[in-house]
Amino acid sequence: MAKVKDTSISSRIFDVMIWLVMAFMLIICVVPFVYMIALSLSSAKAIINGKVSFWPVELNLEAYSKIFTYPNFFRAYGNTIFYTVVGTAIALVMTILFAYPLSKSYLKGHGFFTKVVIFSMYFSGGLIPNYLLISSIGLTGTRWAIILPFAISQFNLIILINFFKALPTEIEEAALIDGIGYFGILPRIILPLSTAAIATIGLYYAVFFWNDWFNGLIYLNTPQYPVMLFLRNIVNGTMVVGNASSASADTAMLGISTKSAVIITSTLPIIILYPFLQKYFVKGLTVGSVKG
Amino acid sequence: MIFKEKRNETLQIRLRSPLQRHLFRYWQLYLMMILPFFYFILFKYIPMFGNILAFRRYRPGLGPFGTEWVGLRYFKMFFKDPAFWRAFRNTLTLSVLNIVFTFPLPIIFAIMLNELRSRNFKKIVQTISYMPRFISTVVVIAILSEILSPSSGLLNRFLVDVMHKTPTYFMNDPQYFRPIYIFSGAWQFTGWTAIIYLASITGINSELYEAAEIDGANRFQQIWNVTLPSILPTIMVMLILEVGRLLSLGFEKVLLMYTPANSEVSDIIDTLVYRTGLANQNYSYATAIGLFSGIIGLILVSSANRISRSLTGDGIY
Repeated sequence: MAKVKDTSISSRIFDVMIWLVMAFMLIICVVPFVYMIALSLSSAKAIINGKVSFWPVELNLEAYSKIFTYPNFFRAYGNTIFYTVVGTAIALVMTILFAYPLSKSYLKGHGFFTKVVIFSMYFSGGLIPNYLLISSIGLTGTRWAIILPFAISQFNLIILINFFKALPTEIEEAALIDGIGYFGILPRIILPLSTAAIATIGLYYAVFFWNDWFNGLIYLNTPQYPVMLFLRNIVNGTMVVGNASSASADTAMLGISTKSAVIITSTLPIIILYPFLQKYFVKGLTVGSVKG
Repeated sequence: MIFKEKRNETLQIRLRSPLQRHLFRYWQLYLMMILPFFYFILFKYIPMFGNILAFRRYRPGLGPFGTEWVGLRYFKMFFKDPAFWRAFRNTLTLSVLNIVFTFPLPIIFAIMLNELRSRNFKKIVQTISYMPRFISTVVVIAILSEILSPSSGLLNRFLVDVMHKTPTYFMNDPQYFRPIYIFSGAWQFTGWTAIIYLASITGINSELYEAAEIDGANRFQQIWNVTLPSILPTIMVMLILEVGRLLSLGFEKVLLMYTPANSEVSDIIDTLVYRTGLANQNYSYATAIGLFSGIIGLILVSSANRISRSLTGDGIY
């Protein structure tokens, strides 16, 4: 990093300008969430009269207590937790099982397997052939349809391969001489050394499964919908949040605070965990920069 | 231990061919790969061959690869289809505009971050600016539609109360589709993409700055003459890759923003494939369109990669 020693006036003005731009950037990133929180905590009347900006007006928790009475929301939230936990677990196991052998360039067929992975990044089946495959193997309408096809992301695989490649080989060689096979080395030696890399790709997978909605839309039935698809449907107006018959004058505006409450609750895990996890998020880009 | 090695030796003598010996030695590694390799065949390569459907007629219930050859019929069909050309134009326009407006932002952001004096403030800005990358597209569009809502949204209230204008239904107006797409993309990815440039800036030799300072360069001149030239290779690689991905826009976001009112500009190749394929179940026709754009994408990405390799000796893969 360049150390700034220049203390001239023009340099100071430059500092102030940069500081202002960066502060603006901070505000731009945070304001949408502040607005959503304010809306979700405000009364319908205040929203309708356009009084809510960045601070709740006529503070109340009605929107939150409402969404927690909607069975659809609860079910969708539970579904998403299931997809995220199971999906991430399967994805991690599969990615580790492929990345470890692929990190051994002395293995015969190493070049071939690597090419198989890389070619699939350049060219893919496309939407329709994928859709027809999933339905012809009978996954459509089951929860596995949005988990199994996404078990390995080539990007994450390459991150992990590069990480494994960079590990020192001495301990591994010693273990081999001691007669511990690769099945023993992987869990006992390699994995404990790789927690940072595994946490990183695990987070990428978890974010992917948490945020996914499109695959739910094309493969699943309503009771299996993830929370992001639920949110998309209430924003679209294709799904009624609560009881459609209780249409009163302020239903539309109640809708806004409810929508905001759904937005906040469905993003909450990421927002809460973010400060603790962000160092891992970034590591992925630096640990195994995408090169083969 | 010695005993064990001896046993291995005798086994190795018995396994004559080098391949047999290799397999015997590494069978555990091969066994690990079986399931993931099967995954790649099933979920990546079978759909790839499934593209053959573009040349065959699909009949429900008779398998995903179609029933009889029809040659290039579906290709001829969509080449004559004005809806395809509209989607093609929309895809290119949106992509090019997107690159023009959003590509420079992470570079500027990274350079400015690097010029911040306060390390703590730098860290805070950096940390917060990554966050939008991890927010679901659904949430981004849902937030946007509330901010831009004609009745209660922040922006329209500002326009009406302060600027005394009439409210605009931004999300439905074709005129605003591209700006909203581009702006929300910039919001989501500027901070994240800047990481790559920041890493590149960190790698610059600090002696270069010292030399520039001795030569009397002010800070702006240092940025112009040291920082920018030093990260130029990174910028070039990123730009080439961006061009290589020209046809693959954020399909999910476009689908979320799509309304009948803005379809004139928001119908891109991917949404066209989605509508003709999954909504209208013209599987073969949609596969043909998808294959066409997939092949153009393949050509673009691999030539982009080749160019970047020859320019900087460094490709992505």
